[in-house]
Amino acid sequence: MTRVPTNKRQTSADPSGPTVVVSGDGDRLALAGALEIVTLAAARNSLKKWSRQGPSRSLDVAKLDSLDTPGALFLRSLRDKGVKLTGIRAEHQALLDLICGLDLKPLPKVKSVPRWRQLVIQLGKGADNAWQDALDIITFVGRAARWTVNALIHPDCLRPASISRQVAETGIQALPIIGLMAVMIAVVIGYQGVAQLRPYGGEDFTINLVAVSVLREMGVLITSIMVAGRSGSAFTAEIGVMKTREEVDALKVMGIEPMQVLVVPRVIALVITLPLLTFFADIMGLIGGAAIAQTLLDVSPAQYLMRLPHVIDGSDLFVGLIKAPIFAFFIAIVSCMHGLRASGSAESVGRETTRAVVKSIFLVIVLDAFFSILFEKLGL
Amino acid sequence: MTTPATAHAKPILSARGIVNRFGKQVVHDKLSLDIVPGEIIGIAGGSGSGKSVLLKTLTGLHQPDAGEVLLNGKAVQSIGAAEKASLFGVLFQQGALFSSLSVAQNIMLPMREHTALPAEEQQQIAAMKLALAGLDADSGIKFPAALSGGMVKRAAFARALALDPKILFLDEPTSDLDPIAASGIDALIRQLNDSLGITVVIVTHDLTTLFTICGRIAVLVDKKITVDTADKLMKSDHPWIHEFFHGPRAEGAMQARKTSHGK
Repeated sequence: MTRVPTNKRQTSADPSGPTVVVSGDGDRLALAGALEIVTLAAARNSLKKWSRQGPSRSLDVAKLDSLDTPGALFLRSLRDKGVKLTGIRAEHQALLDLICGLDLKPLPKVKSVPRWRQLVIQLGKGADNAWQDALDIITFVGRAARWTVNALIHPDCLRPASISRQVAETGIQALPIIGLMAVMIAVVIGYQGVAQLRPYGGEDFTINLVAVSVLREMGVLITSIMVAGRSGSAFTAEIGVMKTREEVDALKVMGIEPMQVLVVPRVIALVITLPLLTFFADIMGLIGGAAIAQTLLDVSPAQYLMRLPHVIDGSDLFVGLIKAPIFAFFIAIVSCMHGLRASGSAESVGRETTRAVVKSIFLVIVLDAFFSILFEKLGL
Repeated sequence: MTTPATAHAKPILSARGIVNRFGKQVVHDKLSLDIVPGEIIGIAGGSGSGKSVLLKTLTGLHQPDAGEVLLNGKAVQSIGAAEKASLFGVLFQQGALFSSLSVAQNIMLPMREHTALPAEEQQQIAAMKLALAGLDADSGIKFPAALSGGMVKRAAFARALALDPKILFLDEPTSDLDPIAASGIDALIRQLNDSLGITVVIVTHDLTTLFTICGRIAVLVDKKITVDTADKLMKSDHPWIHEFFHGPRAEGAMQARKTSHGK
């Protein structure tokens, strides 16, 4: 017996599909055809009223050609209501016995919590998570710092091969995208500057605006955000996969400290590369500024170069670059921490990666705001 | 007891001249296999002999490089999605339960997709499938992550049975299970075969499963397939098959077969 495709739109009304026929009247009815999952709704509807009537009803099922488990469950429910089943075929009897022998309980209801309580619960959970996260980061920063210092004191614990591979992956391969981003951001600032400053006749100051904001803020911020998205996520995913495949446990069993081989090289590598990338982004940003000066202000690249020393000084470059290693440290720490937090399933790696990226970008911006205030107070 | 293979019975599923190759490596070389309605057939073979590929080919998940798979005489690739869902049930090796759905929702998913039953009735049916697979109703609201290995297999069983398939494909149903849970699964397979008449195709390394519940065993060796009953395969001259059925592990499984067939 083959079944014909049946879906919601063409249920048992489909003439070519299996059908169930109810015949007879009064207390004695007979079922014929197929009592299967696709015809169940039809059978139930035609027997609905009848099955609620008084006792001494019987249903003849001798003409049923096929019966599946949902059909048998339906017959069981009829029998439980006091309907007598007659003429059960031998092959259906085994199935019916099996289904009737099952100890059926309804699925427990999932307790639903009212909306306002859900809000309170989520707020509480969120606060608790944030607190635990803060504690975790502080502990992890401490441990990572301890192992990094240890590696610097005992250079034979350093892993130059691992560090150089990470430098290549996080630094050299990121050059094209970071350079492009820096040029773009200079163009964006340049256009805004010209538009805002022209009414005051001060559009020439666009050069100052672009150069200073790129060097002090934009270069390092764009680079850090890019690196957090690019390399931070890679750190979390790499370490997370190692964690789920018990590779991290294998290291521990061999007496190798995961912090030393997995975290320290990445932290050191990122602390090396992020300032270099930032410097590169600064140069590219200034080149973007030159392009804007040429196209919008008719200032030739030579003139632009002449003016640059008057608009910016060493402290602008310093203020930008000094932040880079600190951002790098936190991006690497947060990413590695989330990688080591992954557990068991593959989906936890994905979840931790998202968290790592969100948290490192958040931290970068918070730290940047903090530095802005600090440098303002210091008069830099 | 499973129905012994009868050569003249009309096959429900038959593979003809299947060729599968990956790059230059030929995995299956024109192999043919007939599966008779109501039987339990075990597919055995060494690691890398292409058992899983064969299972994927039989279920139409993998298009063979040559040959065809016929289900009731109809090419498996041409069967519509809804019809296929009601004919085939597959138990994947890791269960493949959807992790974002509870066990009951996993079971109800094919019903929701392919039938017009009201939600309440779907829940009753899901509860019945859970009971059939030997799980209590409480595990229905659990999520797959909260289940033990044996429970995952049973839950996956319940889902494979959701639309009362005619053929059940089981990929390593007893792997990663402790012996008690594995025997429970074996008993479950036999019970479903007895009472529902489902044809069962089992890919397994588990000699106990092969010896105790499979009516016929298909051995994948040298890119071909040899199908026979366990007793006849025991007498085979082929060195790999001989080793497979007479190795140290086979002895214990044979003991289990004697006990199981004795009762």
